[in-house]
Amino acid sequence: MPTPTLLQSLVITLIQCLLVVIFVFVVVPLTVFAERKVLGHLQQRLGSTRVASGHVGVTGWMNRGMWKWGRIPILSYWRGIPGLVADVLKLILKEDILPAKADKFVFFIAPALSMVAAVVVFAAVSFVPGVFFTFPTWFPYVGGLPVSGGIADINVGLLWILGVASVGVYGIVLAGWASNSKYPLLGGLRSAAQMVSYEVPLAISLLAPVVLSASLNFSEMSARMATGMPAWALVPQILGFLIYLTCGFAETNRLPFDMPEAENELVAGFHTEYSGMKFGFFYLAEYINMTVVAALASGFFLGGPWLLPFGLQGLLNPYLPGFLSWFGEPHAIFFVAKIIFILFTYIWVRGTIPRYRYDQVMSVAWKYLIPMALFNLLLAALVRCFAV
Amino acid sequence: MFKNEEMEINLGPQHPSTHGVLRVKLRLDGETITHCRPMIGYLHRGVEKICENQSFFQGQVWTDRMDYCSAVANNLGWVEANEKLFGITVPRRAQYIRTMLNEFNRLASHLIWLATHALDIGAMTVFLYAFREREDILDLNEAFCGSRLTTTAFRIGGLREDLPPGFEKMVHKFLAKFPTCLEEYENLLSENRIWKKRTVGVAKLNAEDAIAMGVTGPVLRAAGVAYDIRKAFPYAAYAEMDFEVPTRTEADTYARYLVRMAEMRQSARIIQQCMDGMPEGPVMAKLPKILRSEVNEVYHATESPKGEIGYYLVGEKGSLNPYRFHVRAPGFINLQSLPKMAEGGLIADIVAAIGTLDIVLGEIDR
Amino acid sequence: MTDPNVPQTPETPEAPAGSYVYDYKAAPNRQIVMPKTVPLPSYRTYLAEQKAAAEADEAKWQKSLADYETAKAKAEAEGKDAPKPPVRPVPRKDDNDLKTPWPQEATDVDLLHLQACLGDKVEEIFEQAGELVCQVAKEAVLEALLLCRDDGKLGYEMLADQTATHYPAASDFAFSVVYHLTSISRRKRLRLRILVPEGFTPESACVVYPGANWMEREIYDMLGIRFANHPDMTRILCPEDWEGYPLRKDYPTVGWGQRDISFREDRGGMLDRIALEKAGQLGINLKQPKAD
Repeated sequence: MPTPTLLQSLVITLIQCLLVVIFVFVVVPLTVFAERKVLGHLQQRLGSTRVASGHVGVTGWMNRGMWKWGRIPILSYWRGIPGLVADVLKLILKEDILPAKADKFVFFIAPALSMVAAVVVFAAVSFVPGVFFTFPTWFPYVGGLPVSGGIADINVGLLWILGVASVGVYGIVLAGWASNSKYPLLGGLRSAAQMVSYEVPLAISLLAPVVLSASLNFSEMSARMATGMPAWALVPQILGFLIYLTCGFAETNRLPFDMPEAENELVAGFHTEYSGMKFGFFYLAEYINMTVVAALASGFFLGGPWLLPFGLQGLLNPYLPGFLSWFGEPHAIFFVAKIIFILFTYIWVRGTIPRYRYDQVMSVAWKYLIPMALFNLLLAALVRCFAV
Repeated sequence: MFKNEEMEINLGPQHPSTHGVLRVKLRLDGETITHCRPMIGYLHRGVEKICENQSFFQGQVWTDRMDYCSAVANNLGWVEANEKLFGITVPRRAQYIRTMLNEFNRLASHLIWLATHALDIGAMTVFLYAFREREDILDLNEAFCGSRLTTTAFRIGGLREDLPPGFEKMVHKFLAKFPTCLEEYENLLSENRIWKKRTVGVAKLNAEDAIAMGVTGPVLRAAGVAYDIRKAFPYAAYAEMDFEVPTRTEADTYARYLVRMAEMRQSARIIQQCMDGMPEGPVMAKLPKILRSEVNEVYHATESPKGEIGYYLVGEKGSLNPYRFHVRAPGFINLQSLPKMAEGGLIADIVAAIGTLDIVLGEIDR
Repeated sequence: MTDPNVPQTPETPEAPAGSYVYDYKAAPNRQIVMPKTVPLPSYRTYLAEQKAAAEADEAKWQKSLADYETAKAKAEAEGKDAPKPPVRPVPRKDDNDLKTPWPQEATDVDLLHLQACLGDKVEEIFEQAGELVCQVAKEAVLEALLLCRDDGKLGYEMLADQTATHYPAASDFAFSVVYHLTSISRRKRLRLRILVPEGFTPESACVVYPGANWMEREIYDMLGIRFANHPDMTRILCPEDWEGYPLRKDYPTVGWGQRDISFREDRGGMLDRIALEKAGQLGINLKQPKAD
């Protein structure tokens, strides 16, 4: 295998970034669409089937086209897809309102901060250990070179992820403060307290995989947590997974923990004063954050690119017949499937349960989640000491 | 260097969970409410003045538009107050049909309360489930009087029309499926830990305070006072119906939820009894073409889904329109107790308190 | 730049002076008709009216009898046939299901108990349409309310409703304020009534029934009766700077500047045009022939 020059590796990284961005910007709108459809089915209605108020112009054209396609049975499910395009168009074309007494610079920078912090996390996420694919030899400039499964599979990946992810809270707090309005301020303060609180159990629950796998590298950790240890050592991490997922819900401000934007109390929380694409950035950031949380959960707890989570893969592999050996290997498709499953769980929970009150949210974090996460860490440490 | 200041914040008049145009002036210490002052009147249309300048028959359409979620119950109060004013005896079949439609309306109103209250607390699926059943009730309204929301269902002296053909079948179909629907809501909420955390012990109003404030309806019954006008001062055909008045003693939001859910079951029971025991006969009393009142004043209270709705009418000799018309709107009186419920609680609790009072600003502001 | 010396024409039309002035020429059918009677139900008035009506009836009957006698005498004198003797008219019986509830004498124990306790502070007690009415002196309203709430024999725990009525035609009072009390334990209702002249401030019921707070605010807002010792005597439904009291009988039903809109008004001549078109299709010439 040829070693790439510096420039070649830069080009490859660029291509990887492009792939990740494409992945993110495909998954996010599809999550939005899935949210509409899944909630619709949970609530015994159709979900989105058309572009709002579109009889004329571009939206009308989309509506008429999709309505024709909708006659085909399977496509009828997807009639709402142009609505996504219309939503994006609406966000871009809407007037960008700046409140009179807002702090202009901070007001401008806050959504960008949220958005960037959410996307940058993906740099350390490894979709598949080792080589993702190799460029065919006829490919210009980078032909024959391998592309690894993550942009930067650095050895302190988890630290990077946690560090960058916690920058995202600044976006929300600053947005609440810079709007110079009461409801956003309350939303911003709530989110500051909530996110700082939930960072603690989140980090502790992620320490258990660190202890077990003795690494901070994303791909190594996911590999060890999937197949590197006997199943009995990993199955207790179901507890860790549940703690992590709960904290993840809180970190991404989703129901039942959507305190900063509890729409029935605080109108729209920290983004009350935002409009247009700035609001769009917050919206995008929320969904990207969901994807990030889902990626970490599937990487650390659900076995990453392997088929089965919690070490069950190791039990299965010896019995896999040869022609099914594909299922014994890591594949990015498994990783993405798990991400999608967790995204579905987000929507499922949103459709099912009510919202916590603010003080109850905090007590859940400090009274229940942190002790449980510490216990889980202790468990992992014992397993590590005596068994593995 | 550091100042400790209370923040004053306006909840409404445009706010997702104030059920219309209620404005509540809050003073917050952090997230805790230290002072709460409801301010109303944003939907004031002068219904009382308008009705004083319209005939007894015309005034009825305004009662639809007061509490638009329970128009039939408002109509019932209005026509019965007028019948009391004129001394009209209503045929028994008309009484039964009125009772049945009133109970359907109670179901619809409680369903819309359940939907919005659950949505306020964050459970959005119940909202659409409840609207699904409400749609069936609105279809029944439409079958009976051609209108879904603002019904003007009754006439002074009885009904304009008898039940349409096929109505009985629709009712039976609804009654057959409604208990399972109720179970569906209860599965989602009753034992839900978050729902209980948000409602148990929240927005308490004990029986003494409730009676002193004049609070009626499910809010009073959830405080342990079995005061239901259908039992206490029976009207329409309620004296002949066999039903219970569900009460709880906890006097909190969760108790009100349970009371309303139990009331829905009782309503279904009453509808069943009405359908079973429906007498034959005319549906309209014999009346002169023009009703002219004598000098008289009546206060007639009925049990609307929100509480006691009372109509106060003063008649002038030989007049075509009421000399004075006044509505004792249940929401207006119940809303008075909001500060008592909300002060000392968190900002999220006031949303639960507003939801549990089941207010409709159309009748509060009139 | 505007020249201060040049008088500027106001952009908006002048607001009319006075509290609420309405141009009735624009809508004569909206003219306020002040009530001429005082429809205050009362057993005493009812009895007096009945007595007067019976006397008038009797007088009419006597007159027709006398007329008959004179006519008979005249006919006898002239030798004509005697006129028909008059028949006393029987009240026409209708078969309507309508029986007007007239005021009746108070027989209910609560009313009698109230009268016994309050003595001559009770101005009148009677029953009508199954409702108990007790009219007390306006100064004694608080005492009466307290008695109603605390007396073991009465026990009216709840103030269901409180409202007022404007009687501009009355001479010695302007408003009646009514309190609808409910006894939850005894399943009874009672109406307390006081008659209040203009400018009098009755005692607020808030000390006895805290729920009266908003109801009294509404009465103040709508009818302009101020209550003494009320914790918060401000307007509730109208804006704080509203002029006038809407539920008084002299308050107009339309505001100034409001027009009566006729929905049949043919603004753009559209109905005309449609009629012409229809007529053209039918071959009818509706157009006025031009005068040459």
